[in-house]
Amino acid sequence: MAARVEHAVKTYGRGTTEVLALDDVTVGIPAGAFTAVMGPSGSGKSTLMHCLAGLDTLTSGSVHIGDVDLAKLSDRKLTKLRGERVGFVFQAFNLLPTLTAAENITLPMDLAGRKPDRAWLRTVIDTVGLGDRLHHRPSELSGGQQQRVAVARALAGRPAVIFADEPTGNLDSRSGGEILAFLRRAVDEFSQTIVMVTHDPGAASYADTVLFLADGRIVDEMDRPTAPRVLDRIKAFGS
Amino acid sequence: MWKLTRRGLWNHKRRLISTSLAVVLGVAFLTATLTLGDTMRGGIDQLLEHGNAETDVVVRNATKYGSDEMVERGRLDGGLVAELTELDGVAVAAPSIEGFAQIEASDGDPIGGNGPPTLAGNWIDDPRLNPFEVVEGRAPAADGEVVIDRRSARLGDLHVGDHTTLRTPDPLDVEIVGIAKFGSVDSIAGASFVAFTNDQARDVLVGGADEVSSILVMGDDGISPERLRSTVASALPSEAEALTGDEIIAETQDDIEADFLGFFEMFLLMFAGVALLVATFSIHNTFSILVAQRTRESALLRAIGASRAQVLRSICAEGLAVGVVASGIGLGAGIGLGYGLRALIESFGVELPNAGLVVTTSTIVAALVMGVVVTFLASVTPAIKGSRVAPLAALRENAIDRSGASKWRAAFGALALGGGIALTITAVTNSAIMDVGSALGRAGLGALATLVGAVALGPVVARPASALLGSPLAVFAGSGRLARRNAMRNPRRTSGSASALMVGTAVVALFTTVGASIKASVGEVVEQAFSGDLVIVDESFSGAGLSPLLADELAALPEVDNTATMTNGVVSIDGEDAFPTVVDPDRLASVFDFDESSGKVAELQSGQIAVSDVYAADHALTRGSQLTFDYADGASQAVVVDAVFRGGEIAGDMVMTRADWAPHATRPTDVAVLVDLADGVSLDAGQAAVQTVADRLSAPEPQTSEEYIDSVGADVDQMLALVYGLLGLAVLIALMGIANTLSLSIHERTRELGLLRAVGQTRRQLRSTVRWEAVIVAIFGTIGGLALGTFLGWGLIEAIAAQEGFGSFALPVVPLAAILALAAAAGVVAAVRPARRAAKLDILSAIATD
Repeated sequence: MAARVEHAVKTYGRGTTEVLALDDVTVGIPAGAFTAVMGPSGSGKSTLMHCLAGLDTLTSGSVHIGDVDLAKLSDRKLTKLRGERVGFVFQAFNLLPTLTAAENITLPMDLAGRKPDRAWLRTVIDTVGLGDRLHHRPSELSGGQQQRVAVARALAGRPAVIFADEPTGNLDSRSGGEILAFLRRAVDEFSQTIVMVTHDPGAASYADTVLFLADGRIVDEMDRPTAPRVLDRIKAFGS
Repeated sequence: MWKLTRRGLWNHKRRLISTSLAVVLGVAFLTATLTLGDTMRGGIDQLLEHGNAETDVVVRNATKYGSDEMVERGRLDGGLVAELTELDGVAVAAPSIEGFAQIEASDGDPIGGNGPPTLAGNWIDDPRLNPFEVVEGRAPAADGEVVIDRRSARLGDLHVGDHTTLRTPDPLDVEIVGIAKFGSVDSIAGASFVAFTNDQARDVLVGGADEVSSILVMGDDGISPERLRSTVASALPSEAEALTGDEIIAETQDDIEADFLGFFEMFLLMFAGVALLVATFSIHNTFSILVAQRTRESALLRAIGASRAQVLRSICAEGLAVGVVASGIGLGAGIGLGYGLRALIESFGVELPNAGLVVTTSTIVAALVMGVVVTFLASVTPAIKGSRVAPLAALRENAIDRSGASKWRAAFGALALGGGIALTITAVTNSAIMDVGSALGRAGLGALATLVGAVALGPVVARPASALLGSPLAVFAGSGRLARRNAMRNPRRTSGSASALMVGTAVVALFTTVGASIKASVGEVVEQAFSGDLVIVDESFSGAGLSPLLADELAALPEVDNTATMTNGVVSIDGEDAFPTVVDPDRLASVFDFDESSGKVAELQSGQIAVSDVYAADHALTRGSQLTFDYADGASQAVVVDAVFRGGEIAGDMVMTRADWAPHATRPTDVAVLVDLADGVSLDAGQAAVQTVADRLSAPEPQTSEEYIDSVGADVDQMLALVYGLLGLAVLIALMGIANTLSLSIHERTRELGLLRAVGQTRRQLRSTVRWEAVIVAIFGTIGGLALGTFLGWGLIEAIAAQEGFGSFALPVVPLAAILALAAAAGVVAAVRPARRAAKLDILSAIATD
């Protein structure tokens, strides 16, 4: 298991306005696999991802990345852990506008004071096909190119887990398909562990496993998903 | 729309408060300055009115040469008093004999001397004409008896019946028989005062002649001062004039205004102006950022149908509101500050009647108008820019703005800067060919153009400059490199906050450079010209001078080879005041190198003078030229220029002999005594021997030339410290501007910071990113300011040198480096709050997609 949560409970607010975002969730993220997390708005899928990634803390329960218990870490150690063992691809605003594509890719390593592995970096950049755009700034790149830089950044540090939060949400279908294909290749060729939150059945079909969340609980799991099957399953919940 | 403005103000209150602070401080400074000036003016008026309360007419000699401290006015024949008393309509006429004397405290130290004058006079017996009133003891009735003011009695721990020494400047033992107050206060604005009997005043203050300084006249009941004046005037000899009490008050007020108060107020106002200028830059920058951040809001307003004018009005109204509120608060704070400053001035010994503070309507109006106008002007251009936002701009992400570096701006800035520099340089280097008098004027114009150019070029150079300054930081990939990029990303903003600091530090650097140059020039000149061993200089402002016995008694010491004296004379040449230095030519020339270009100062005889080369050139004089000296006592003397010398910096423009001056001097005193020790006498032994004589004659400490240079340097440093204190406010405002800009930028970069934190930037790294950015901006502004200030200081010094023939430029490397280091440190301090706020940022809310 690359990461896991046990009896994860997360509540927001207090008293009558209390919202239960995660309701006793226990789940493991298998290493070297591509896991998609699906569910309607307010189902707790983003909260689950944030807690797994060390961006948010649980009200009760435990989170592990590898063997590390995140609850025991200080903010500083947690930040270091994110930089070294976790990769992120967000829906939008993934890149620092002041840095070039290349600098954005090595940013987590620069922050941690680590030297990037040159050969690996070249492999990653070749994989996402950014060779000629490396010294451009984000404002000079298309939305798809920006997301490819974000994927390259996530891959560059060889993290234990990459968390992708609606990585194709802002893209047209062709660019989105490219990004998903890169993520898939990363899993197949480099055994990268990836967790992706999405509400798009087509995107989920790239994953090995899909976790379905509703009302803060995991309600179903599907291996080797296809878009139609996922869609059917969602429709079933909707009723 | 107004509702929206109000909401806008409320929503941005925190930012607006920090913006307002700049206005509050500037307006407070302005208010305090004006209030203090009015208060001192009011206090002095009250003193003057009390001093002349029942004096209807004052008679004095009409001849007056010189100004400020160097004044010589002719005196009147003592017999005139009796003649005036005989006149119809005159009730009383009393002689007034005025001079200077320092009172020694019970511990032997002189009272006062470094501020208000140390006055001496005769005790006027008629209480209606004497503004002083004995509160303890009695009036002086015999030689050796004096009345002193109550403030000096208090400060010097002196009581009725005590014996003390007066420095007149010859030491004079006296008994204090009375202590007097001046109206409601203990002294005349802190001036010490000692009063003798008429006879002794004549002996001590005017050398024993039956002469008086002025005659105070009171009329019979029912006669107006004007009528009395014409009655008196018709009986006066031609050299005398009569003025009414009111005329004297008005004249004295004008003198005080011109000599002191006006200068004092202008001096402070200049610094208030700098503070307000810096505040303008800060406010302008803040408003620009606020408007930029509200682009979406403005665009939305435009999209739903608000007119451009409505958006413009809304932003201007915000500026106006900030201006009004901040000026109001600043006014209140300034009045409070005024009380503090009044207390501070009183602690320096300037005693003023009535405890209150004079807050005039014009002060209130000036402060409010300045504050509101400054804020409004600073917000107008951002408002116009904001109103130009296209409705579609709402959707654009505005992460990097390079708009500052337009070609038009670069061209204009380069033109203004280049032109300003060229104008300054030609003003000070070509002045020999052109009109010398205009050198300063053109240097000033050049300075203004240089400043405008530098400010205009700010956004153009901000990017490359930040890149360069930040390049050493690239080694800190996790913080320094990001800070460098952040400083580069929005040149207009970076230069906006830096230029406020630039203006502040430019003035600091200007004063530092000028101060260092003055010190260096004085040092150079003293070392070159002064070949004696020791010097005793009367550096006090008291007007008492050194005892004329000092030089002779020192010369009699076995350790001393020779002494020479210098004192100041005042004459008029064809109606123009001149201030010759009075010397014993043969004695001075042996300890002082005049570096003559023709003739020998040492060989000057009675009726001969020497002039400096600068004065000779200005007045077309050569050796052999003839001049006529008019003395204040009415005498005239034909003199011949017999030498021209180069060393005019210490010796002055003109040198005359003691033999010529002595008959016309009020009383013989010296300003400086130069001492040449005998061969084989060590400096220490010589100094000790001279010291004992100096102590006995109540003279200041003898100094070596190094010590003298140091003491001049210490005076310059003291002045600089005051200036730094006054400029501190402007620099503080500029630093607050940097902090404010950073806070706003951080607010704008919330999502970026969230991303950075998510991918592994620690809070510490984030804080140091913010800190480094502040340091880059602060150093950028400071280097600009130092370059500008040093250049302008050079221009000023060279212009003065061209005009006055004195002064050479010195680059104060260490102080300037210290200023730069301080600026970097100040950048760190300015970043503390923004950095802390940035580090507290909640990652989740920052990265949450909306």
